[in-house]
Amino acid sequence: MAAETGEITTMKIFLKILVPLAFSFALVAGAKEIKLLNVSYDPTRELYQDYNAAFAKFWKAKTGDDVVVAQSHSGSGKQAQSVINGLEADVVTLALAYDIDAISQQAKLLPADWQKRLPDNSTPYSSTIVFLVRKGNPKHIKDWDDLVKPNVVVVTPNPKTSGGARWNYLAAWAYALDKYGHDDAQARDFVKRLYKNVPVLDSGARGSTTTFVEREIGDVLLAWENEAHLAIKQFGVDKFDIVTPPLSILAEPPVAVVDRVARKHGTADVARAYLEYLYSDEGQDIAGRNFYRPRSEKAAAKYAGQFAPVKLVTVDEAFGGWQKAQKTHFADGSVFDQIFQP
Amino acid sequence: MKLNQLFLATVAGMQLVFPARSADDTATNSTGAAQAEIPAYTASGGSAQSAEAAEIEALKKEIQELSQKVQALAHQRDLDQQTNTDTAREQIQDLDQQVRILGRQRELDQESAVATAKALPKISAGADGFSFTSADTNFSLALHGVLQVDSRSFFANDNVQGDNSFLLRRARPILQGTVYRDFDFVFVPDFGGSVVQIFDAYVNYRYAPELQLQAGKFKSPVGLETLQSDVNILFNERSLATDLVPNRDVGFALHGDLFNGAASYAAGIFNGAPDYSGTTTNADFDSFKAFAGRVFLQPLKNSDVAVLKGFGFGLGGSYEQDHAWTNTASTGLTPGYTTDGQQKFFTYTNGVAGHGTHWRIAPQGSYYYGPLGVFGEYVISDQQIRNVPRHLNAELQNTAWDISGSWLLTGEDAAPNGVEPKHPFNPKRGQWGAWQVVGRFAELDVDNHAFPNYANPNTSASEAKAWAAGLNWYLNRNIRVDASFSHTWFDGGTGPGATVTKQPENVLFTRIQLGF
Repeated sequence: MAAETGEITTMKIFLKILVPLAFSFALVAGAKEIKLLNVSYDPTRELYQDYNAAFAKFWKAKTGDDVVVAQSHSGSGKQAQSVINGLEADVVTLALAYDIDAISQQAKLLPADWQKRLPDNSTPYSSTIVFLVRKGNPKHIKDWDDLVKPNVVVVTPNPKTSGGARWNYLAAWAYALDKYGHDDAQARDFVKRLYKNVPVLDSGARGSTTTFVEREIGDVLLAWENEAHLAIKQFGVDKFDIVTPPLSILAEPPVAVVDRVARKHGTADVARAYLEYLYSDEGQDIAGRNFYRPRSEKAAAKYAGQFAPVKLVTVDEAFGGWQKAQKTHFADGSVFDQIFQP
Repeated sequence: MKLNQLFLATVAGMQLVFPARSADDTATNSTGAAQAEIPAYTASGGSAQSAEAAEIEALKKEIQELSQKVQALAHQRDLDQQTNTDTAREQIQDLDQQVRILGRQRELDQESAVATAKALPKISAGADGFSFTSADTNFSLALHGVLQVDSRSFFANDNVQGDNSFLLRRARPILQGTVYRDFDFVFVPDFGGSVVQIFDAYVNYRYAPELQLQAGKFKSPVGLETLQSDVNILFNERSLATDLVPNRDVGFALHGDLFNGAASYAAGIFNGAPDYSGTTTNADFDSFKAFAGRVFLQPLKNSDVAVLKGFGFGLGGSYEQDHAWTNTASTGLTPGYTTDGQQKFFTYTNGVAGHGTHWRIAPQGSYYYGPLGVFGEYVISDQQIRNVPRHLNAELQNTAWDISGSWLLTGEDAAPNGVEPKHPFNPKRGQWGAWQVVGRFAELDVDNHAFPNYANPNTSASEAKAWAAGLNWYLNRNIRVDASFSHTWFDGGTGPGATVTKQPENVLFTRIQLGF
């Protein structure tokens, strides 16, 4: 008797409790706010500030969900190391492919072929390296040769921590190779002389901009093209001039979903959409508006006027790809460590 | 330029003076170079004029040359001055750059020092315990602890109930840490009471807040009050309802928090633990395993409705098979249900053991709003048992419930995870910590079919009811002083040999607690 009574009581209790429990689960599951963390490099602050707002609006209209994208900015190499060390980025938008390769290889957070997942090698916009000089260009800096003159002070960040700095370094090296008939020894000497004119190494591109623009140090800042335009936009055309050298490097900052983190956060779909939307008309327009060179013909044509013509060499052409360039020039004990004495 | 102009003016003046001087010279016959030439000028009319003109011309030429020299000298001086100015300006600019560079390098050095400091392991000591953590926070080790010094005073006990005593209720160092970011561990021995035990020893893998796997010995996820931390319970002892839920058990559990903590769940497989027992074991006594789980929802936790944010409810339960054959420590049965004063008011008779299904279900709820806290649960523990010597089987369904309330007189927010005084105890500043009144009612009903074949109706009660009230004083987050009174009365258990259940139990508790 006791057993039968117990079973009936149990059934009643289950029915009385499980129904409201299920209802409550549905209630709790209704509200949805998605949070993404975009770990990026230094000079993209303004770009992603604009873009995040546009994407949130797009995603809300498409799905009804709210997306809040948090940004993290620093030197690209430092950011990659932070992700490797556990910073839970849903997406990374870094200065160069090597840094995302490092995340893939060292932390296994995304597949090795990540760069094939989006168009243009997962690089929705490009840029190059230009010279930002003081108004009137008092040191008459026109080309890379002018940077190695004894009386010229050059500002550029540390290639060990900054992606932009590595682009700067390689652009100078590529120029020297072009000038000296691909003689590595002369190129090395040229770059060594250039870095003799560098008194301060910031850890990131934005830090170097601060050094040059706000601390008024140096005659020329080696800068991302967008960063140079931004400095003029922010501080006035009466303060600086942009000098685009005849030859520079094609800088391709890539983007990628950090698969394992996004899966863990349940944000894989929205993270992928977030990066894909960079290739949309609106995404490309925002890139152009922020002085990046858009990939789409439409946006490229619209913003062509703001970019001076320049012969661009690629890392693959001049250095055999990022892996090789990194190993040769920026790894511990490699060329940069040998030529630069702080 | 001024010097140059002065010189030219002087020379021009000399030109104007010359004719007069010639006349004077003629008149006075002065001697000298000019005097020697002038006679030719004065000696004959035409030739004299010619000589004078030549002389003037020569003088003019000489003046021009002198003028050019002066101009050259002045220009050179100007150039020198300009050069000196430019050099000085350049030197100033260079110095200015050097100063700026040094300033910037100092800034960068400071930034670097901050970054380096961030890269160093962090040591901290505070109200939350003592810990050190690697710079990347992937590794950490923390020391926490609980020390509870109690007193129990039994009233009107006719010397047949519990002893009035001081006791070390809990003395537990808590070693807690994280390795490789996602793996937590906890190790908690207890040196309180009479038996040294390992209470908690487990590893927890956090894949995500929503999905975690825990393995080892830890609290079985069933009872609401049982799952509350020992340092945060309202009274010295948990309620009668806790008598029917499992305590610590050894096994594995999946658990997690969903929707930013609005829902939590846990489900695991365990050795199986008897109804609440202070003494826990580290090994199984049979081959059968227990399943236990719990869901708890706080649907409006993240809403803007403040008055309902602290409302939660849930359901815990367990299911297991017990097949023990002797009435030893491994019977699969509770060693006895205890009163607030920790006296056994019900025990199974010798030879009775768990023999079949044992399931529990425990609906539960809580509500916290401002200084008010209320929680309660209802527990059914249904167990098939066997009187081994007499070959008798039965399924008993024991039930219990309780409701507890608290109110913070000093206005702090009540919470299941403790009270943080607004004004920690400091009499010199007129601060007296937080004061909380607490009350509780609880009941435990033993299935009547337990008597007489499985329990002695003379010495075990079939029902116990208890109320309790008390005052808790939180001096700060770490020190707490409690005083409470509990009254328990019984149905049955008043026959020959009865002790505990012979009369109601009245106990005054006090506690001094250190928790960090």
